[in-house]
Amino acid sequence: MIEALLEGLVLVLQWKALGFMMLGVLLGFWVGLLPGLGGATTLALMLPFIYTMQPVEAFAFLLGMHSVTATTGDITSVLFGVPGEASSAATILDGHAMAKKGEAGRALGAALASSLVGALIGALALAAAVPVVRPLVLTFGSPELFMLAIVGLAFIASLSSHGGRGMLRGFLAGALGLFFATVGQDPQAGVARYTFDTLYLWQGLDLVPVLVGIFAIPEILELVARGTSIAGQLPAGKLTRGAFEGVKDTFRHFWLTIRCSLIGTFIGIMPGLGGSVAQWMAYGHAAQSAKTLEERKGFGAGDVRGVLGPGAANNSKEGGSLIPTIAFGVPGSTAMAILLGGFVLLGIVPGPDMLSKYLTLTYSMVWTIVIANVVTVIICFAFLDQLARLTTVRGGVLVPLILVLVFIGSYTSNNHYGDLIVTLVFGAVGYFMVLAGWPRAPFVLGLVLGKIAENYLYISVARYEMAWLTRPVVLALVGIAIAVILYPLYQARRRSAHA
Amino acid sequence: MKLKLALLACAALPLAAAAQTNLSGKTVTIVVGYKPGGGYDAAARMLARHLPNHIPGKPTVIVQNMPGGNSIIAANHVYNVAKPDGLTIGTFNRNLPIAQLTRVQGVKFDMTKFQWIGSAANESTILAIRNDLPYKSFEDLRTAKEPVVIGSTGPGANTHDFPLLLKDLLGAKLKIVSGYSSSSDIMLAIERKEVDGRAGSLTSIQPFIDRNLVRPIIRARSVEPGIEKLPEDESLAPNPRAKAIMALRSAPEVVARPYVLPPATPADVVSMYREAFAATIKDPALVAESKKAKFDLEYTSGDEALKVMKDVLSQPKDIVDEFSKYIKFGE
Repeated sequence: MIEALLEGLVLVLQWKALGFMMLGVLLGFWVGLLPGLGGATTLALMLPFIYTMQPVEAFAFLLGMHSVTATTGDITSVLFGVPGEASSAATILDGHAMAKKGEAGRALGAALASSLVGALIGALALAAAVPVVRPLVLTFGSPELFMLAIVGLAFIASLSSHGGRGMLRGFLAGALGLFFATVGQDPQAGVARYTFDTLYLWQGLDLVPVLVGIFAIPEILELVARGTSIAGQLPAGKLTRGAFEGVKDTFRHFWLTIRCSLIGTFIGIMPGLGGSVAQWMAYGHAAQSAKTLEERKGFGAGDVRGVLGPGAANNSKEGGSLIPTIAFGVPGSTAMAILLGGFVLLGIVPGPDMLSKYLTLTYSMVWTIVIANVVTVIICFAFLDQLARLTTVRGGVLVPLILVLVFIGSYTSNNHYGDLIVTLVFGAVGYFMVLAGWPRAPFVLGLVLGKIAENYLYISVARYEMAWLTRPVVLALVGIAIAVILYPLYQARRRSAHA
Repeated sequence: MKLKLALLACAALPLAAAAQTNLSGKTVTIVVGYKPGGGYDAAARMLARHLPNHIPGKPTVIVQNMPGGNSIIAANHVYNVAKPDGLTIGTFNRNLPIAQLTRVQGVKFDMTKFQWIGSAANESTILAIRNDLPYKSFEDLRTAKEPVVIGSTGPGANTHDFPLLLKDLLGAKLKIVSGYSSSSDIMLAIERKEVDGRAGSLTSIQPFIDRNLVRPIIRARSVEPGIEKLPEDESLAPNPRAKAIMALRSAPEVVARPYVLPPATPADVVSMYREAFAATIKDPALVAESKKAKFDLEYTSGDEALKVMKDVLSQPKDIVDEFSKYIKFGE
């Protein structure tokens, strides 16, 4: 096994494979920065180019490209409050808030350093999971996946602000998210729900236009209203702390970063949960780490831990989602489904063979993830402090540029004017939520988990009737969900006992 | 002298174009009714690389994705909006004739009025169940004591509609559990014994047959090498009505990768594309490429494809009503 691990490294380090990987990294860098153009779409577009490549080169190219998009997606989120990728929206909450405080450099440093840690842990998990992956994935059937979605929804408790009123708002926002997740043709009876006789809504709301609308539009409106730069409260041109401070933050909260990486890896391993869930659960977990009421209030207003959590999780999930793709030929995400097509093109059948016959190739993928991320982070650091200066550019100059990014980004998801309407509508929703002090994170969590929860609940009941409730893993997850909900209450009590 | 020749050539060009379609320097767009990444998109991109070599003037061929409404949006666009100048080709959901037949809201096209170029592939649908189950034939499924659980992605998909008809029309003891997010998710559910089997295209199930995870039991009309010996659903029909309904569900599978031009496209352009399409699919370079991608190409001519559309859309009302009870348009 060690031998295969080393052989894998040697394969990746051959000049051709390395060259293709760097090309992939370069492409992925831009794809990640630009909102809308997602990693999955780009993979599909790049697939034809691998016909003449060797397997190691092809995967160095594709995987190198894909594993970088999540990292650079965070940059757009932090600087402009526009999600660079659907999987980097959670970074906006605290990352962009930090940028507004003049700490863009620090936020970027934290996002990148935690991304690196996440990627390394995901790759490590991929390498370590090889012997146990089959039993692990097979333990999680539809009832367990449904309960995982419930645990995810339980994190609303820690994403809401303190007190009964805050909780109520959080859960109502979550319910609204669940409601919007029902739009589209339902997979049980084939009925079109809330589509208002339009074809556009038939396949449900696309995540990218909704996320771009709900997060970016309110920021833009605020920027216009303030009439200053993003880091407006500061004297022009003065940014307090630089990127290196963010790296130090990563190590200051190292265990949190590790835990969030593990959450990301785990969600990635579970096929069918989708790529955008991990970041929100990690964010919820990061918010749990607030010890005092003041600290809790700091989340959403620029706490660096709110950047570290999702930053780590959205990278570690890549290593995780490769696991079911390799071991079962069952992709863990859309991107992985396209990567699966790449396997077929190269004449490799993913499945148990990948863990024996093609073990070296599997390990070469692990190394690709590691090297691609290290390279990206190093490149980024070279000009992070320059990037951070963008937040001192006058709003009047910046707003048109951001608007272009926003609308092109949302339009690329379906090439349909409906995308723009959805962006505007949810922009209004987001604006009023911010105005009235309603949290947006629970809404997104509901939207992301709604379909998963609905489908797996249906399957569980249809298949097992009520018997699924007594499965041991389901019971354990029920316990975890309850603990997640009660934890903020417990914290509150402990705080008042101290006071 | 050279200049003169060039001028002459330029003057002659419009005349040549009138006599024979020449798309030199033009860009042809293939409109795909799905997002990048799926089978329809992959087929279109593969064709786009080889089609130019067979079109006079070697135009650039690009792919544009126009997803939504299970391809209805793209079909409406090609039918009503795209100029009939031979620069727009449409490819979309093979089940669109079913959408038209069952009067799905939003359909603004008539499948029989498109100018048909042809189809690039067949889709053979089979039902496969776990190898460790005691049932070996379709008769065993009929007489099974416990219902056999079949996972599906939802109404309108072949993972759902095919087993539904087997259950309701042929009396197979099946229980259909729908809501899986993709056919590979169902495969994983088979692996962990949450469900007993699934229906789907032979291409997608074949790797798992090879791995001895599942065995094929029954197929629909469309046939490929390797499954000739499986019983066909229509041959087991108890009455003509049941047979007609199953036939109607299977019909579009012969036209699995349809390619059309807008209705008003001139006849000479249509015949040029038909020839180019036929030649492209036989092109050794494309054949080699498709073999590599495990993507079976099967040429169906424009006339044959049009005939399938006319057959589907000329069914008597009672059959259509009965059909609509079982089948909903989707995916």
